[in-house]
Amino acid sequence: MPVARRLHDFRWYLWGPVAFVALGVLLPLGYLVLRAFQGNASELAELVFRIRNLKLLGNTLGLAAGVLLLTSVIAFPLAWLATRTNIKGRPLVTLVGVLPLAVPGYVMAYALMASTGPSGLLSGLHLPRSSGFTGAWLALGLYTFPYLFLNLRAALLGLDPSLEDAARSLGYSNREVARRVVLPQLRPAFFAGALLIVLHVLGDFGVVSLMRFETFSYAIYLQYAAAFDRVYAAWLALMLLSMTVMILLLEMRLLRGRHFERAGTGANRHAPISTLGRYALPAYGFVGLVGMAGIVLPLSTVIYWLGRGGGQGRWGNLVNALLDSCSAALPAAFLATALALPVAYLSVRKPTRPSRVAERIAYLGYATPPLAFALALIFFTLRSAPFLYQTLGLLIVAYALHFLAEAIGPIRSALYQAPARIQEAARNLGRSPVRAFFEGTFPLLRGGIGASMTLVFLSVLKELPITFLLSPLGFRTLAMGVWSAAGESLFSIAAPYALVLILTSSAIVWLLLRDPRASRIR
Amino acid sequence: MAGCVLSGLNLNSQSIREMRSLLTALALSFILALAACTSETDGPEADGEPLVVYSGRKSVLVDPLVEQFTAATGIAVEVRYGSDAELLAALQEEGDASPADLFWGNTAGALSAAGEAGLLTSLPDSILSKPDSYAPSSGLWAPITVRFRVMAYDPSRVTPEFLPTSVMEIPNNEAFRGQIGWTPTYSSFQDFITAMVEIQGEEATREWIEGVKALEPKAYPSNTPMLEAMMAGEITVGLTNHYYILRVLYGSDENLGSDPPVASHHFAAGDTGNLALVTGAGLLNTSSQPDKALAFISYLLTQDAQAFAAETVREYPVVRSAAVPDYLLPFDEAAALGPEFDFERLRNLERTLDLLREQGLL
Repeated sequence: MPVARRLHDFRWYLWGPVAFVALGVLLPLGYLVLRAFQGNASELAELVFRIRNLKLLGNTLGLAAGVLLLTSVIAFPLAWLATRTNIKGRPLVTLVGVLPLAVPGYVMAYALMASTGPSGLLSGLHLPRSSGFTGAWLALGLYTFPYLFLNLRAALLGLDPSLEDAARSLGYSNREVARRVVLPQLRPAFFAGALLIVLHVLGDFGVVSLMRFETFSYAIYLQYAAAFDRVYAAWLALMLLSMTVMILLLEMRLLRGRHFERAGTGANRHAPISTLGRYALPAYGFVGLVGMAGIVLPLSTVIYWLGRGGGQGRWGNLVNALLDSCSAALPAAFLATALALPVAYLSVRKPTRPSRVAERIAYLGYATPPLAFALALIFFTLRSAPFLYQTLGLLIVAYALHFLAEAIGPIRSALYQAPARIQEAARNLGRSPVRAFFEGTFPLLRGGIGASMTLVFLSVLKELPITFLLSPLGFRTLAMGVWSAAGESLFSIAAPYALVLILTSSAIVWLLLRDPRASRIR
Repeated sequence: MAGCVLSGLNLNSQSIREMRSLLTALALSFILALAACTSETDGPEADGEPLVVYSGRKSVLVDPLVEQFTAATGIAVEVRYGSDAELLAALQEEGDASPADLFWGNTAGALSAAGEAGLLTSLPDSILSKPDSYAPSSGLWAPITVRFRVMAYDPSRVTPEFLPTSVMEIPNNEAFRGQIGWTPTYSSFQDFITAMVEIQGEEATREWIEGVKALEPKAYPSNTPMLEAMMAGEITVGLTNHYYILRVLYGSDENLGSDPPVASHHFAAGDTGNLALVTGAGLLNTSSQPDKALAFISYLLTQDAQAFAAETVREYPVVRSAAVPDYLLPFDEAAALGPEFDFERLRNLERTLDLLREQGLL
C-alpha cells in the first residue's frame, strides 16, 4: 500500500481508542513479566519445567474442547429454532438461549452438585454426583453457550437470503443449502462465540475450583491463595497467555480472506421460515431441556436457599448493592462497546496487520486472569495516577478493557455482513467519513451492538476479583453479596442477592434483545 | 441510566435519532464516571478520615461489628473485602501508597505471611495482653476469634462412644469404610494437614493420608456440601470446622424442620484433630491513623464484641470473660482443646500442597 494512502487512512478517532485498548491490555502483561522474573533463575527453571504444567495443559485444553463441543451442540439448533423456524414463543426461545449467562458460574456449579448424586434433588435419575471433568464440563457448558447463541442468532438474522435462493435455483436441496451456503456464512459468528467460550474456560476459576478440576487458572489461584506466591502465579499466567496467543493466531488464519456481506442489491428480505412439522415435538423438547438445565435448575436452587437457615439477610443492603452493580455495569457496557466499534471496524474494513493485531490484543485482555489484571492496574495507577485509585472511573475502565473481547464479536459479525458499498456511496455524496459511517453502516450494526452491550453488562454484573480489588471503598455489588454469604454457607442471605442478580440480568436481556428484527434494516 | 439505554435502543423508527441518543447516553455515562471519580476523592474528609480496614473475612461476619464500633466511638470505618490472598497481593502491590490502616485476616497463615512480607507493625502490649490465649509469638497481630477442627457425625447412625479419641486413629477404623467425608482442597483442611506435618512429622502424615484413602473416603469441595451429604445419608462422619455444624444446627429461626442428623465430636484435649484456627487483625505499616486502628482492634477484643461474635458467627472468643451461648464449650475447656503449637508455623503450606499432590488429592 502506498505511503500516501496509508496516511490518508490514519484517523485519530479510530486509532486513538485502539491505542488506548492496546496500552490498557499490554500494561498488565508487562506487569506479569516483571513479576515473573523476580524469582531466582534455578527456582524458576524448576517451576516452569514441572511435569505438572503438562498435566495442567492437558486438563485445560481438554476442558476447553469439551465445553466448545457441548456449547455448539446446544447453541446451533437453538439459534436456528429461534430465527428460522415457526416455533411458537420465539422470544422465549431467545430468552432460553441468553438467560443462562446471567447465572454466576459458581451458582451453576452449586446447583449441579446439589441436584446430582445419590442424595441430590434428581436422585431418581441415578446421576453420579458431578465433580471433576464432567462436573466442570457441564457447569461451564450450561452457562457459556449463550456466547455462541447470541453470535449465531445475530448472524442468522443478518444473513442475506438471496444467496440461499441462488443456491436453491441451482438445484441444491435444503440440506445442501444449509451445509454449503449457510454454515460457511456463520463462520465469523461461530469463531467469535467459540473464542469467547474457550477463553472463558481457560480463565474460569469459580467452577473448576468447586468441581476440583485442576486447570491453569485454578493452579494460578492456588498459588496466590495457598502459598501467597506471586512469582509462580505470574509464570502460570504467562503460560496461559501464550496458549491464548496460539489460539488467536489459529482463528486469524481460519478467517483470512473471507467475504460475508450481502450479495444482492436493493432491500434486504426476511429469511425464509421453515415449518417444524414432525420435528415440532423434539424441537420443543430440546428447548425445554435446555431451559430446565440452564435456567430452572439454578433458579430453583437459589429459591431453595431462600427457605434455608443460616441467618437473616438485610433487604436494605440489597437495594444499595443493586445500585452499585448497575452504576458500574451500565457505563462499562457502553464504554466497552464504544471501544469495540473502532477496533472491530479497523479489523474488518481496513484489514492491515496492525489493525488485526489490535483486535487480537483485546482478546489477550480477556484471557489475562482477572486477579493478575487487577493487581497490574493497582501497580500502575498508584505509580502514575494515584488519584484514580479506588475510584468508580478506574473500575469501569478496568471492566471495559477486560470484557472488551465480548463486545467485539457481535459487532465484528455485524460489520462483516454490512456492505461497505452504502458507506462508500455516502462518501461519494459528499458526507464526511464519520457521517458516512453513522448513516451508512451504523444502523446495520444495531443488533450487534445490543448483543455486545448485553454480554458485557451480564459479565460485569457477575464479576468478582476485579470488583474486589479495584472498587471504591464501601462499594458492594450483588455478586459480592452472593459470594460473601454463600462462601460462609449462609445461603438464605445469599439467595436474595442471587435472585436480584438474575432478575436484573433478565430485564436487560429483555430490553436489549426484545425485537427479534432489531438487527435487520429495511 | 436505564432511560438512556431505552432511548438508545428501542426507537426503531429512525436510525439517526437512535444514533444520537446512543451517543448522548455514551457521553452521559462518561460524565457520570468522571463525576464519580472526582466526588470520590473529596467526599469523606468532611468529618475526619475514615479508618480503612482490609478484611479477608466475609462481610456478613464483619459488617455488624463495624456498625457497632462506629456507633460506640463515632469513628467512621470503610471496609474493603476480598479473600486473604487477594488482599495480601493487593497490599503488596500498593506498597507505601496503600490507603489501608488495618488487615483483618481469616487465617493465621495469611497474617503470618503479611508479617513476613513486612506489612505489619508490632502491636503494643496494651493490645497483646487482652486476649487470654492464642497470641502469636511475633506480636505482629492480635487473635480475634478461634475456630476448631472437629469431627461431624450422624447421631442417628453412630454413637459418640464409638468415635475415636484421636484423629490419628481414623485409618484403623474399618467401620468407617466408605463412610468418611473430607475436603482435601479446602484451606482449613490444608491447615490441619500442615499442623499434622509439624506435630507428627511428614512420614506419619503421609501414612495417615494413605490410611484414610484406603478406607475410601468421599472428597467434597468444601464443608457445606459435605454436611449436606451427611444429612442426605451419604456419609456417617466427616472432618470439618466446628461452626459449620453449628450453623446447620442453630442457623436460623425457622429451622430445617426436624433436628438435622448432624452433631460435633471433639477429639481428646490436645489432639492434632482439634487444631485451633485463629483469625486476627494486624496494624499496617502504611496506616496514617494508627490510634483509630488500635481502637478498632481493642474494640474487637472487648467482652461485648467477643460475645456478639460468639453469638452470631458461632466462633470462640479469645477473651475469657466473654459470654458464650450454651452450645459452645466454656472458654477454658475450649482453650485446652487444640494441640500445643505455634500458629505461625501454619505458613509452611507449600510442603502440604506437595504432599497432597503426591497423594493425588489436589
